[in-house]
Amino acid sequence: MDMSANSAGSSGPASTSHEWHTHLSSRSWLGGILLGLAAAVLLATVLGLQMELDQRHDERAGRLESLRMLPRGEVLRPALMGFHHLGADIIWLRIVQVLGEQVVTEQDYEWLSHALDVVTTLDPLYIYAYDAGGTILAELAHRVDWSNRLLEKGMKANPAAWRLPFTLGFNYFFHLNDYVKAGEYMGQAAKIPGRPLYVDTLAARLYVEGKSPLLALQYLEIMIQQAEDPQLRAIYEDKYKEVLIARDLGTMDLALARYRQTRGRNPQTIADLVKEGFVASVPEEPFGGEYRVDPETGEIESSTHRERLRLHRPPGANSSQE
Amino acid sequence: MRVLSIAFNTFRENIREKLLYNLLIFALLMIGSSILLTRLTVGEWDRLIINLGLSSINFFGVLIAIFVGISLVSKEIDKKTIYTILSKPVPRYEFLLGKYLGLMITLFVNTVVMVAGLLAVMAYLNAPVTLLLFEALGFIFLELMVITAVALLFSTFTSATLSAIFTLAIYAVGHLSTDLKQFGAQMDSVGKAALNAIYYVLPNLERFNLKGQVIHHVKISGTDVLLTTAYGLAYAGLLLVLASIIFQRRDFQ
Repeated sequence: MDMSANSAGSSGPASTSHEWHTHLSSRSWLGGILLGLAAAVLLATVLGLQMELDQRHDERAGRLESLRMLPRGEVLRPALMGFHHLGADIIWLRIVQVLGEQVVTEQDYEWLSHALDVVTTLDPLYIYAYDAGGTILAELAHRVDWSNRLLEKGMKANPAAWRLPFTLGFNYFFHLNDYVKAGEYMGQAAKIPGRPLYVDTLAARLYVEGKSPLLALQYLEIMIQQAEDPQLRAIYEDKYKEVLIARDLGTMDLALARYRQTRGRNPQTIADLVKEGFVASVPEEPFGGEYRVDPETGEIESSTHRERLRLHRPPGANSSQE
Repeated sequence: MRVLSIAFNTFRENIREKLLYNLLIFALLMIGSSILLTRLTVGEWDRLIINLGLSSINFFGVLIAIFVGISLVSKEIDKKTIYTILSKPVPRYEFLLGKYLGLMITLFVNTVVMVAGLLAVMAYLNAPVTLLLFEALGFIFLELMVITAVALLFSTFTSATLSAIFTLAIYAVGHLSTDLKQFGAQMDSVGKAALNAIYYVLPNLERFNLKGQVIHHVKISGTDVLLTTAYGLAYAGLLLVLASIIFQRRDFQ
């Protein structure tokens, strides 16, 4: 009793302070909840508005636009005050992101050519940017002229980089069908120390053989081996398969010609060629399709690639078309 | 001796600055972010680490040099502690030199921390470390020495804010001075002489920029290293002497 009274007495001031404290804390609780709510509402608003704004503006188009609108490298370089190498890296990073987002459908690749020009003006020794950029311009954008311009610029700044004349030679070989020029550039690459040995062999063969699918396949094998980036490698691998088709069509054209000579008519199916012993077997279509023969016209085509690669036909085959 | 004790005091004072730690943490974050960025890029990924690392060390070093450098003297004046120091038999130039050395110690420790961060990232990603990298880092430190001297010079006669603006301006022009010379070459004789004069008086900070050489493995000759080092030290020395002359004549009321 006494103890409890004592304790009650002593707890008097304590309990009032406690009450006061709970009073305050319940009030600050309420305030805290309100502030928390306000923060949550505002956060949701900010996020919502951000998303809404993102949707209103095509982000990808915006990024493309920012690359298209880059100031010229000569202007940008001094503005970066000694950080122009980092600037080149950041623009390169952006180019890679835009290209990597999806299979690019743009017809107009001027932004790419411009952005690559800016990167290589900021850092004229960025060999990879010339090399990969030149390939993308030629293969994705189908602008061999821009690709060659970029590679020539790179060669001027980096006379010791064998990859640049090598890729230029590739452009002349595949896209411009100028085997003399291709051989010249390959010869230039073959003079630069540090090149792999196959450059020399290739240069020699280019001079001698000109357009042969076997040579093209060898060229492409090297490009595939050299490509570090999976996207670039895929481009070359597709091209490799296209040349395979061209090679197959070439051999089958020869068989078809012999068939016509002996039988005096076109085969009904491609299997006839095998059945009657004109070819050992029908090669596998590299894209997973099949080879077909049109009995009317006697034309052989691939089911996946109707357009023939016009260049790599062994001399003599189908000469009536040339 | 007195210079050194002022220097160590300044260093102790500097490491209490919160600004320093903010900048340092930010620099380390930037250097670390290259781990993520290398995954996004295509080809020559190690150049991105080196570029981002050296650029961060350079940029944040310059920020620290400017924003700590401008307050070296003005803080003492504001707190009126300068009277107690200058009433002792300490020549004013020794005071300035001590302050300068103190900040250089701070910057050195900072740079070492940032370089350790960069080397850790490079080791983690197996990027090759070359001698050229350390030459470039040495040159960045030389640039910091010049910039600190510029900040100190301005802080002897103007307010902290103005000093910061002036020093930033010198930093910008210092990186553009080669362009000034080129513009001058296309002008008439008067313009050419004027721009040439500006070119030779201003620090050519682009000389201390070896980032491109590191990523492209372009070796620089020993003579060039020596001459550029001498240039940096002489320029910083010149600025310190000018600062001492101005500080000597200044009246504190």
